[in-house]
Amino acid sequence: MVNLIPNVVNMKQQLIDATWATLYMTITSAIIAGILGLGIGLVLIITQPNGILEDRIIYSFTDKVVNILRSVPFIILLAVIAPLTQYLIGTTVGTTAAIVPLIFGIFPFYARQVQNALLEIDPGVIEAAQAMGSSPIEIIFSVYLREGLSDIIRVSTFTLISLVGLTTVAGAIGSGGLGDVAITIGYARFENDVTIVAMMIILALIFTFQIIGDQLAQKFKQF
Amino acid sequence: MTESIIDLQNISVVFNKEKQQLKAVNDINLRIDRGDIYGIIGYSGAGKSTLVRVINLLQRPTVGKVIVDGTNLLTLPSKKLRTVRKKIGMIFQHFNLMNSRTVFNNVEYPLLHEKISKVERQKRVQRLLELVGLNEFAGAYPEQLSGGQKQRVAIARALASQPDILISDEATSALDPKTTESILKLLRRLNHELGLTIVLITHEMNVIKSICHNVAVIEDGEIIERGSVKDIFTKPKKELTRDFVDTSTNVKKALLQIKWDTQVNSLGGNQRLVQLNFIGGSSKQSLISELARDYHVDANILYANVDQIDGTSIGYMITIFTGATEALDESVEILERNGVEVVPINLDQIKGDEEQW
Ligand SMILES: Nc1ncnc2c1ncn2[C@@H]1O[C@H](COP(=O)(O)OP(=O)(O)OP(=O)(O)O)[C@@H](O)[C@H]1O
Ligand SMILES: [Mg+2]
Repeated sequence: MVNLIPNVVNMKQQLIDATWATLYMTITSAIIAGILGLGIGLVLIITQPNGILEDRIIYSFTDKVVNILRSVPFIILLAVIAPLTQYLIGTTVGTTAAIVPLIFGIFPFYARQVQNALLEIDPGVIEAAQAMGSSPIEIIFSVYLREGLSDIIRVSTFTLISLVGLTTVAGAIGSGGLGDVAITIGYARFENDVTIVAMMIILALIFTFQIIGDQLAQKFKQF
Repeated sequence: MTESIIDLQNISVVFNKEKQQLKAVNDINLRIDRGDIYGIIGYSGAGKSTLVRVINLLQRPTVGKVIVDGTNLLTLPSKKLRTVRKKIGMIFQHFNLMNSRTVFNNVEYPLLHEKISKVERQKRVQRLLELVGLNEFAGAYPEQLSGGQKQRVAIARALASQPDILISDEATSALDPKTTESILKLLRRLNHELGLTIVLITHEMNVIKSICHNVAVIEDGEIIERGSVKDIFTKPKKELTRDFVDTSTNVKKALLQIKWDTQVNSLGGNQRLVQLNFIGGSSKQSLISELARDYHVDANILYANVDQIDGTSIGYMITIFTGATEALDESVEILERNGVEVVPINLDQIKGDEEQW
């Protein structure tokens, strides 16, 4: 065992720290981007043509912003957004600094996912709620977010997994975390076993998210 | 005088479709009395749904006035409008239940934001489920129910806010005939017991026949004919109305068969082929024997049927009258004077759907 992964043994603590860094980046940016994406996804749904608060201007503006942000490659976004990161965090390197580009990289994607999930809800159900005298707020919380909860969990899982992928790319700006370790130590120093173990930890994280997400999605189909 | 609970005045709804304008509803006036069961019938795309969605302003009319229970809805702020909507229940062809909620929670939904205690709320849901006969399904989810059961849940939900009006938009169109009958029976009971005013859209005349008191026929966004169901069934004036009526009374089927009958195709000058419609079933049939006795007019009855419509028997008959010209004219007059609608039949105009090339 020790012979098989000689370098990993020496760097055990570093790998543990990197795992925590990855989790920290993923979860912090997931929470902030999650709130932003969910809100924007909802805005798209309620202001869309024939939506409960139809508004052509807000809809097309939001729609365009989401499209533009989604088309910027993440690696470029990292650089472009650096001044904002500097302003907000006070530095552009390190784990906390990586959270800003991660948020901008993932929330437009998530907004689109939420929008698509909510589009799955039968418009007839929304119409029935309107006919029953529900207010827009009631429809958002008691119909959209409830009927759509299972699908929202499903797309959130999917988004979370994509986010883990993005944290490794953020290694390029010295974010720390498993991606950073795999590249700067494993790859650069030819310590292949480090790269492989880092990858395995990432896979373990992803599978864990997937399994928990699938179970929650199933549970909230009917509740 | 009965008071109208719904009063639509000069309603037009125009949709803008890629610069093209579509007039889905064209200057319709419609008054519906409290306690009525009012049918709206028309083919697909006629504008039925658009028209009834104006009643609770799910669809705002381009022009016109919407008065429900004396209130002009178009002037109401949205909060007041929502209060009014709670008094107008609505059921749909595809039920529109929430799949994530149990039957109980679906019925409970409209009460969630009401100012009533949880205990009171649950009691009310329980009573509603009893009313529609679904107590033992309280914990089930919609996907576990049949179409008829889903519609019962939808009805219970629509009744939760104790509405005065129930709008039914093709509520039985996705159901088989037997289930349709049971849902209609339930609606009739609700009308009777709760005094609920029901506005019912359908494209099936049989539905109108079995529960409505009044009916409007709608085509291309306009009401082309309206009146009591009895009148519409005995004296349809427009082609489309006659079509709907004939389809539901089987008269059309009979006419199509008769068309190929040789005796019908070789009528003499002293013979007339007519359709007789009359209210009151058998009573009028004695008139025919009277004609034979007093005017020597013979009736050869090719088809006869008595239908129950809005609680009244209505008879349909296709006959060939044979007699002297004057006697024939006189017979028609006597029949009409006795409330029998006499419609001359023109064989060339009888067309089955399969023949309309
Ligand atoms: N929101 C809308 N935007 C544009 N056009 C519409 C809209 N709603 C209805 N229409 C059009 O208005 C016309 C009438 O539609 P409506 O749904 O009222 O017909 P209907 O009589 O209820 O038909 P069906 O029996 O198929 O339900 C149709 O031509 C339809 O395409
Ligand atoms: Mg319709």
